[in-house]
Amino acid sequence: MSIIDWSVLVLTLTGIVVYGIVRSRGSRSMDDYLLAGQSLPWYHVGLSVMATQASAITFLSAPGQGFTDGMRFVQFYFGLPLAMVVLSITFVPIFHRLKIFTAYEFLEDRFDTRVRTLTAGLFLLQRGLSTGLSIYAPAIILSTILGWNIYWTNLLMGGIVLIYTVTGGTKAISYTHLQQMAVVTFAMGLAGYLTVKMLPEGVGFVDALHVAGEAGRMNLIDLKFDPDSRYNLWSGLIGGFFLQLSYFGTDQSQVGRYLTGQSIGQSRLGLLMNGLLKVPMQFLILLVGVLVFVFYQFNPAPTFFNKQETESLKNSRYASQYQVAEIKHQNLTAQRQKAVLAMQAALQTDDEAGQTTAGTILRETDEALKGVKTDVTKLIQLNNPVADTNDVNYIFLRFVLDYLPHGLIGLLIAVIFSASMGSIASAYNSLASTTVVDVYKRLINKAGSDADYLNASRWATIGWGIFCIAVAQFANQLGSMIEAVNILGSLFYGVILGVFVVAFYVKSIGGQATFWAAIISEVLVVISWMLNLTAFLWLNAIGCLLVVSIAWMLQRTLFRTSPNE
Amino acid sequence: MTENNTGLPSFIRSWNQLYAIVMGSLAVEICLFYLLMRWLS
Repeated sequence: MSIIDWSVLVLTLTGIVVYGIVRSRGSRSMDDYLLAGQSLPWYHVGLSVMATQASAITFLSAPGQGFTDGMRFVQFYFGLPLAMVVLSITFVPIFHRLKIFTAYEFLEDRFDTRVRTLTAGLFLLQRGLSTGLSIYAPAIILSTILGWNIYWTNLLMGGIVLIYTVTGGTKAISYTHLQQMAVVTFAMGLAGYLTVKMLPEGVGFVDALHVAGEAGRMNLIDLKFDPDSRYNLWSGLIGGFFLQLSYFGTDQSQVGRYLTGQSIGQSRLGLLMNGLLKVPMQFLILLVGVLVFVFYQFNPAPTFFNKQETESLKNSRYASQYQVAEIKHQNLTAQRQKAVLAMQAALQTDDEAGQTTAGTILRETDEALKGVKTDVTKLIQLNNPVADTNDVNYIFLRFVLDYLPHGLIGLLIAVIFSASMGSIASAYNSLASTTVVDVYKRLINKAGSDADYLNASRWATIGWGIFCIAVAQFANQLGSMIEAVNILGSLFYGVILGVFVVAFYVKSIGGQATFWAAIISEVLVVISWMLNLTAFLWLNAIGCLLVVSIAWMLQRTLFRTSPNE
Repeated sequence: MTENNTGLPSFIRSWNQLYAIVMGSLAVEICLFYLLMRWLS
């Protein structure tokens, strides 16, 4: 990185932190600190909800997924607009009317303390671990590519955010989310535009889409119903709906965002704004990855984007095998380049036969290149068994560093930090509010003053910040980070959602049945995942259905007394 | 289902209409994505 990049990075991050602190001075009560005094307008709520969900992983992994796997990942978000509508109709009015701080408070009102504490505990476990991953995921990539020390990068990633989260609470988080979303949108838009501009003369945006289509990267919709397929229309609509409903309805990092709305209407509008914008936003992020893929059809692509691993391979006893793979890669790249140029010529002359021939060569060389990459990955693993071989996370950043102009590089690194800060800040805040409201205030210090709880909230934020950074320091390689976080979420969200579904819709089931159903279901979900019985997205639906059906059976057999025993 | 319409933008008549717009947009997006995929492959 040049001095310009460093300046842009430091100025952007400092600006965000200072702005957050200045705009949020004067939190005098727990209500102010945890819910911003329920004073925020809908666009604050909407952008805050979006910034919380879009972590750094979104901007590192998603373009990489677009590059390697095409656009099909967009289907993962199809359940989100439906979930926003359901939340607006059911969850939002109830949470607002009960004037609660956390979603889990509602469960005590409906069931008992045990169910509330169990659900809050599942949330704290899941969110604490996944926030650690959210810190580690971008940190490992930045440290590998830029040569930064991983421990310091983790510390920086998780630490900057603590400054304004501890001092300013939710208001600071919400104000910084606005800035973070502005930086992210501008920088990603510019990156996409420059990628198209860097294509050879005569190759425009539409030509690029055609090349991507011929190479199988515009695979937006898969209509086939296959429970083992990770991303298709049905898993996105059904599995995605359950995942998003659980995430937005029962994860305090999101509930805490829309509870800041000044009224039920403002909270609803914020969520519906997310419902309208999320799918197009995710489409555009993936499209940037697809455009990077097209760019590399005309330019030499590295065999492996994580250069540190290939450099190490060059100096190992596998160097000669790697060299053979490199030569094969170069020959295939040259063949592919010819095919792409032939495709472009055929497109311009409307030569359908030429398009088909070039398309076939393009797909064949693409498959052969994937084979070479697999061989190189195996060599890297042999050379270094703990190497990070998931190249998806490195593709976009490598492209940014190799081809984009100085200044924009700094801005895109700032995007990664900003996105990371946005989601981590919400996570710290939600972990602190659940700890204070559902554990400290409910079980430890029931008669404290507002100042006590405000103080405890600040200390809880610091404590969780340290915990999450510690998790990040010990995190190992978990494949694609965006998937790792979603898998971890899917293990817990379904069960938590099931508890809320029973609470909202099945009034005849009581606390005891729900409590034991949640425990049994969680065990079954974890077993299903360990035995690899189905694609992870379905675990959300399975967990939810298990809780509802087991609780219903238990209520009718073992706990046949009053539902509110 | 959606008892009052306070807080809505002036050009939207009811919450139900807004919910229909959100779900309709999703349906349109899915159709457009499908057509785009068919056109490009």
